[in-house]
Amino acid sequence: MRDAYLIGAGQTPFGSMPEESYRSLFDHAVSEAIDSVDHGIDTDAIDEAVVGSLGVGGRQLGLSGPAATEHAGLHGVPSVRVENACAASGYAVRQAVQAVKSGMADVALAGGVEVMTDMSSDVTKYWLGVSGETEWERLTGTTFSGVYAQMASAYLREYEASEEHLSMVAVKNHRNGAKNPKAHLGFECSLEDAVDAPVVADPLNLYHCCPTSDGAAVALVASEDVVEQYTANPVRIAGVGAASDRVGLFQRDNYTSISASEMAADAAYDRAGVEPDDLDFAEVHDCFTIAELLAYEDLGFCDRGEAPQLLEAGTTDADGAMPVNLSGGLKSKGHPIGATGAGQIVEAFKQLTGSAADRQLAAPKYGLTHNVGGSGGSAVVHILEREAAR
Amino acid sequence: MTVSGLAAIGAYAPRLRIDAEEFEAAWGRFDAAGIDEKAVPDADEDAVTMGIEAARRALTAANASGTDVTHLAFATTTPPMAEEDLAARLCSILNVPDDAKTQTMTGSTDSGAQALDATMDGGPFGDGVGLVIISDCPRGDPDSEVEHAAGAGSVALVVDDDGPGTVLERASHTEAYPGTRFRTGGDDRTTGLGVTQYDRDAFTTTLGSAADRLDVPTETVDAAAVQSPDGKLPYRATGALGVDAETIAAADTVSTLGDTGAASAFLGAATAFADDAERVLIAAYGSGASATLFVVTGPVPVETALDGAVSLSYAEYLRRRGEITRDEPEGGGAYVSVPSWQRTIPQRHRLVAGRCSACGALNFPPTGACNDCHDRTGEFEAVELPGTGTVEAITTIEQGGAPPEFVAQQSKSGQFDSAIVVLDGPSGEQTVSVPAQVLQSTGEVTIGTPVVLTTRRIYTQEGVIRYGFKAQVASQRR
Repeated sequence: MRDAYLIGAGQTPFGSMPEESYRSLFDHAVSEAIDSVDHGIDTDAIDEAVVGSLGVGGRQLGLSGPAATEHAGLHGVPSVRVENACAASGYAVRQAVQAVKSGMADVALAGGVEVMTDMSSDVTKYWLGVSGETEWERLTGTTFSGVYAQMASAYLREYEASEEHLSMVAVKNHRNGAKNPKAHLGFECSLEDAVDAPVVADPLNLYHCCPTSDGAAVALVASEDVVEQYTANPVRIAGVGAASDRVGLFQRDNYTSISASEMAADAAYDRAGVEPDDLDFAEVHDCFTIAELLAYEDLGFCDRGEAPQLLEAGTTDADGAMPVNLSGGLKSKGHPIGATGAGQIVEAFKQLTGSAADRQLAAPKYGLTHNVGGSGGSAVVHILEREAAR
Repeated sequence: MTVSGLAAIGAYAPRLRIDAEEFEAAWGRFDAAGIDEKAVPDADEDAVTMGIEAARRALTAANASGTDVTHLAFATTTPPMAEEDLAARLCSILNVPDDAKTQTMTGSTDSGAQALDATMDGGPFGDGVGLVIISDCPRGDPDSEVEHAAGAGSVALVVDDDGPGTVLERASHTEAYPGTRFRTGGDDRTTGLGVTQYDRDAFTTTLGSAADRLDVPTETVDAAAVQSPDGKLPYRATGALGVDAETIAAADTVSTLGDTGAASAFLGAATAFADDAERVLIAAYGSGASATLFVVTGPVPVETALDGAVSLSYAEYLRRRGEITRDEPEGGGAYVSVPSWQRTIPQRHRLVAGRCSACGALNFPPTGACNDCHDRTGEFEAVELPGTGTVEAITTIEQGGAPPEFVAQQSKSGQFDSAIVVLDGPSGEQTVSVPAQVLQSTGEVTIGTPVVLTTRRIYTQEGVIRYGFKAQVASQRR
């Protein structure tokens, strides 16, 4: 199959934007993605569109794909909404890659959008848990903070880890997010703040949880046959892996890892022909800070139980050997559910094309993005490679 | 008249308690004479769940199981649903055969006695047993005598042909005495007109007239378990019943449990038999009025869980009663339709897991591909789990952290623990994991804590109460 390339990516700020609709947000992200294409691109060149969204609020649950893309002027382009909870737009990007690799499209647009902050707190509560297992898990009174807290309880019991490690992840990601003008919570926080925050679901406190955000993100994927028309600095989508698992935590094989992440990563590494050591940075799915620790292990950055030590050693800091969540991650940058996966691709694109401004790494070659749906019912991993200039 | 055996009694009262002093502090007075403290149902308890607690204990004490029950009678003045055959749910939860005869009696604090009376008429029982479940949690307006007295508790009696206990004799009397204690249609609060002497006359006349019909001399009883809407009224019936105050005090529960409505006299009998009484007079009374008396000789095996464990402040009490709390917010919860719930009743009521025909692994719920070997045949052998297990992941959901359908529960009871529990299989080393709330968060629940499952209200959706399992810390089970 032919190669697929990332030729552009853009996003809105993530945050609370009552002045924007899901359509206007998506439109802004499309504009920024188009503007990011080196040699420019006309919307007529887009053959396919995939829009990730959970549909929080139910505002346009049916046909939200066409509703967003037609508003953005992609008239007539086949468009579909992809729903895979928080991994919706990670999967949207994967579908765009499939369309391009298969030969059905030369250029495909993949994006995501979510509006989460314009509802009453009661309605928000309803929507936050809808991707949990509904008939058993949710009926014990949990939403995702509760389910990830259960995973944290098991992890802290199993390994040499403490609640302070959960807070250290927040401190790191806020430090990174403070340099991202598009971050929802773009401020630094002290370890003291992140330790002393009010408890949400023991052992998780407020600083161990990402915010709910509005936002949109869009990536443009092109085939190797046309990539040179658009850029001289292509970013190759070197490997994609995705996997599913039981939706309810209680039916999983264990609670101290996310097997779908592990399977997705194994497949992505295999297809890309790279090892974790080859990576220069990663954007991982830190919806709760425990999830970032699990990701270090699931993605092979360290052995089981060693994530706290990896964090303590500064390896995943911005100036470490393996920077994680330079964008601020879901924790600081924000988590507009359907836009999150595509948003991770945006950060990777910026890093690999040298446009990450204050967050820019020196000449990274490989970056990984890791997007999880729910508490691990689905996961998708992309490995992106900066190729030599053509 | 049929003479029945009484194989065992089970008794239960919620572990939440409030002291009379809390009422005095709040109101400057306490209107329920003779009550020191009383039992308070938790937000997920009602007459059905309390009845289950008593029934399980009674069956255990009788060395019987739900499958032995041929007659089930349920009595309460506080049915959680005003219309719907709640006996069907009790049978389902207790695994009573589907050809058992059932009855539900309500509308009177005498209904428990009427249920026992009717069940005895259903004998002889042969190898089977009759099960009478009497469970009540009355309430009134916050400043009323009824509410100050209102307690909670349940009793279950296993009736058979040959005991060891024996119901020697029974007698009843009805006489129209309107207005002493009543509840109008659609209201959940009991009230009365408070015509003091009239109310007392109704009580003593009705009980006395029933007692006059007994052949067994009442002065021979060791304890007289008399209907106790408060701690004073039963003692006004000493003359009418032919017993002294000490004999009534020997079956006292109202002073520690409050007014337990239809269960009142029977909780007294359970306490008396637990204290090795040989002969007990059960004197139940319901406003309107009717009285039903039984003379029972022991020994009667009794298993009780009547001790309190958690003391509430008056504010906490008002929250548990739902007086100052919020309901489920607009927008509702994640939708689990009633038919889809009904399909899972074997799991929710009786912990029916499935053994995979391909690999032998236990599955819960037993649907779809095997959770272990992923075999698609979906063939599972039904396996009932014993309901014991161990916490393997745990969190405490703080205020604001619950989904909307649990907002009402959290508003009433506060933070709660939610866990994954690994349940023991029926034998051997096999286990299967289920998610479950853990009762009475005390901060003591950690990974590895042994638990036993029990039945509680999960929630109410579209007006329909959904009962299912929750976990209870094994060492806290009374």
